[in-house]
Amino acid sequence: MFFHIVLERKIQLHPRHFGPHLRDKLIEKVLQEVEGTCSGRHGFIVAVTNISDIGKGLIRDGTGFVTFPVKYDCVVFRPFRGEILESVVTMVNKMGFFAEAGPVQIFVSNHLIPDDMEFQSGDIPCYATSDGLVKIQKDSEVRLKIVGTRVDVSEIFCIGTIKDDFLGLIGDPTAGG
Amino acid sequence: MADEDYNDFDGGYEEEPVEPEVEEEIEEDAEQPAPIDTLGGEDVEMVEGETPSDKPRKTTRYMTKYERARVLGTRALQISMNAPVMVELEGETDPLEIAMKELRARKIPFTIRRYLPDGSYEDWGVDELIVEDSWKRQIG
Repeated sequence: MFFHIVLERKIQLHPRHFGPHLRDKLIEKVLQEVEGTCSGRHGFIVAVTNISDIGKGLIRDGTGFVTFPVKYDCVVFRPFRGEILESVVTMVNKMGFFAEAGPVQIFVSNHLIPDDMEFQSGDIPCYATSDGLVKIQKDSEVRLKIVGTRVDVSEIFCIGTIKDDFLGLIGDPTAGG
Repeated sequence: MADEDYNDFDGGYEEEPVEPEVEEEIEEDAEQPAPIDTLGGEDVEMVEGETPSDKPRKTTRYMTKYERARVLGTRALQISMNAPVMVELEGETDPLEIAMKELRARKIPFTIRRYLPDGSYEDWGVDELIVEDSWKRQIG
């Protein structure tokens, strides 16, 4: 799920960036340090939309650097258990397959793949029904439900299932489905 | 912020601040730069101690020698790290000398946060504090 929230971060600024362009430099640094990162608490920071407040700087003793508390609005993406996501399959093996929904990696174990789908090794490993109408392979698009998340400090990893109504293949680059 | 000492600033400069006895019961602590827009170079003699705003400040309006040492040291460090200089230079190259010149011109963009024993603090801009004139002799 996506959220638009306000976060705060302390930005260290080198003395050479002081002067009339201090603000611009700070904003640039916020974007650079923050966008694309992931925190377990808030999820993936997708984009900073606005810098709402730059507080008073504090001189770090001994280094001459100055720390500014910066408040910024940003869009974060955080997967939840029970959420339905559409994702792209990145790897298929006999244990299941990995899919990506934006920045988040999702693993779907073969226990959570419908029983009528079998793993087929070969040139392009895939999961397919016996009649070959539905075929999940690399680059397939899959709708899945998240059944578990593992949240680390700087990483979020999900377990998904396609063993439910309306889940599974939604498109296939190779006209297999 | 209350955990710094001043010992690290010691660079063979001839500093013998013969400060007159200003009331020096205050310990200063962290400075912060009020970004250039908040502090201009105002006339310090105008500031008669307490500004009438919010709660009147009660610490001395003189910059203590400790504050001066730390402000100059920090500012010189920043200048040595390529911070833009706030005064016109006339051939000075030594960062500490430039920092002193800035202090004389009251162009150092810092605010001194003086912590009091009860944990509260007062903010004083470097430009509103009276710097005792011992530096005149030091820089020659």
